[in-house]
Amino acid sequence: MADKEKKKKESIFDLSTYIDKHIRVKFQGGREASGVLKGFDPLLNLVLDGTIEYMRDPDDQYKLTEDTRQLGLVVCRGTSVVLICPQDGMEAIPNPFIQQQDG
Amino acid sequence: MAAIASTNPSQLLPLELVDKCIGSRIHIVMKNDKEIVGTLLGFDDFLFLCVSEITPEGRRITKLDQILLNGNNITMLIPGGEGPEV
Repeated sequence: MADKEKKKKESIFDLSTYIDKHIRVKFQGGREASGVLKGFDPLLNLVLDGTIEYMRDPDDQYKLTEDTRQLGLVVCRGTSVVLICPQDGMEAIPNPFIQQQDG
Repeated sequence: MAAIASTNPSQLLPLELVDKCIGSRIHIVMKNDKEIVGTLLGFDDFLFLCVSEITPEGRRITKLDQILLNGNNITMLIPGGEGPEV
């Protein structure tokens, strides 16, 4: 319990490594945005520059190019952030779960 | 608190940016499809906003005078924003 009292606000993930890097952020509600991380706080509020926002629609599913808009400098509310990852940190791979043909 | 101060003093804190925006135009994007454009009057720790002259964007545009907006559903704040298609 004494440990918990000392480390009250220490974050388990250091976002300072992402400062000035292009990141992708996903929000509750299905919105996604990407931009250059300019600042953050322990509550996970973010400042993104040159932000592009993507919207997800029923017919759009995971296609991101449909509704994109340039937003510029934005503040992202930490309470609605669900995922942060580097912009080029993901690549599509063939479905690894298909080949289940064990006899 | 020492851990926080040593992160990066030259970065831009989110709430500082919102604070700079007080008195000027702001565009607020909610978790759902609602967006609000108006003049930011003030905010608090939970990001309750006082906004005047708002026009929630979407199918209808309703002009209201002053509102107190609950910060629970806010996703993004865009200083100086005009809204999608004004």
